[in-house]
Amino acid sequence: MNKQIILKNQKIFTKNNLTEKVREWDPNRSKVAAGIKKGIMPNIKEDDKVLYLGAAEGYTISYISDILTKGKVYGIDISPYSMQKLLILAEKTENIIPILGDCNKPFEYNEIIKKKFDYIIQDIAQKNQAEILIKNSDIFLKEKGLALLSLKLSAISQKNHKKTIDDQINILRNKFRIINQKRLDPFEKNHMLILLEKK
Amino acid sequence: MKQEILQITKNKVKEKLEKSDQKIINLSLIVEKLQLKINELTELLKIISDQEYPSIDQILGIKDYCKFYLLEDKSQISTLNFKEEEEIKKILDYNIGITIEKDVKEITNKLCKNILELIDTKEKIDLKIDTLIKENYINLYNIATPKIACKMIEIAGSFERLSRYPASTIQLLGSEKSFFKALKFNKKTPKYGILYNHPLIINLTNKKKAKIARSLASKIALGLKADVEKKDISKDLINKIKTKISEINE
Ligand SMILES: C[S@@+](CC[C@H](N)C(=O)[O-])C[C@H]1O[C@@H](n2cnc3c(N)ncnc32)[C@H](O)[C@@H]1O
Repeated sequence: MNKQIILKNQKIFTKNNLTEKVREWDPNRSKVAAGIKKGIMPNIKEDDKVLYLGAAEGYTISYISDILTKGKVYGIDISPYSMQKLLILAEKTENIIPILGDCNKPFEYNEIIKKKFDYIIQDIAQKNQAEILIKNSDIFLKEKGLALLSLKLSAISQKNHKKTIDDQINILRNKFRIINQKRLDPFEKNHMLILLEKK
Repeated sequence: MKQEILQITKNKVKEKLEKSDQKIINLSLIVEKLQLKINELTELLKIISDQEYPSIDQILGIKDYCKFYLLEDKSQISTLNFKEEEEIKKILDYNIGITIEKDVKEITNKLCKNILELIDTKEKIDLKIDTLIKENYINLYNIATPKIACKMIEIAGSFERLSRYPASTIQLLGSEKSFFKALKFNKKTPKYGILYNHPLIINLTNKKKAKIARSLASKIALGLKADVEKKDISKDLINKIKTKISEINE
């Protein structure tokens, strides 16, 4: 396990290597932390290059930044309002790189990034969540690279149809090997977290 | 490298946030909330004012009601030029309102002025929204009417997204909730969204509504494409809709 992640008294903390600051990571606010509580260890290495799709204002990214003592995290989000706040966070932090972009169009930010990644994290509530991950991993993820996908089930199927959700997971199976998958209740309703490895 | 990307992102964020459609959406959100506040404060004012002047609130809109309330000498009501003047005079003549103490009156007057101030703010914002839509999206403004234009941009989330919607989506815009309900309960899906409030549609019979809504939506879709190219073809499009309406009415 990454040594910047500390589990203590049922709680999760990360430790920043530079500032030595220890911060609690709230599983009710971050699906990655909720995943850790449910037994999905993200397996992020300290020198990984991480691509984060749906970075929002950067709550989770700030913890990923702690974990990456020698790595970098590129955060993409479509909302300029969220990006203002992510920019402020990025100014304060060495290894966060924020990019305003639509994850349905990875070729657009590929022009700025031009890099391969070891790891992709995705947290976007859209109907085509699986497709978005595949598009991005085709361009950015190294072979055998890992992906941590938060699937919002109600965004895929209004009525929570099992078949529609299975379809999404089957799409993923074409390109990935599923390492682990768990529902995130009680931290997040209607969410599934899936750890994948690129074939 | 990082500095370069930061600069690119900063510029893009500013460019996006400074766009007129985002301003329209934000201002429209403020107007909606402001109206709720105005209604809420008016209810508070009425707790007392309704006992002084019962039933007047049934006759006048909020703004006129406040003006009436602040008028010190009610025998001078003609200075306010209300078309409801006679009706109000009659009620005042019944003389069944109570008189409140001077210090309480000072409080209600202040509250009343606050409400008028908020109404004034709201009207200024409405005007600004109107100007923004007119200056930037003239076809949408003319065909859909400013109020519906504003609502459409708001629902789509940006002008760019709205301009890419097909006519069928535009026709249903704003009916999403009832749309899903209809699917769920196997009811007929709704044929119109906020377009239903359009002055050319609102007074038609149900059957005609659907037809005109479809035609109107297709013209709005064309108008939006023209707005992207900054061309004004609204007159032509409106004439086509009017022809369609007269055809249907034959
Ligand atoms: C649930 S939030 C992510 C929260 C974040 N992962 C965290 O834990 O701090 C989802 C984000 O996805 C973004 N989003 C939605 N559609 C997107 C798209 N097509 N491309 C990029 N970002 C998108 C939204 O703007 C929103 O900020």
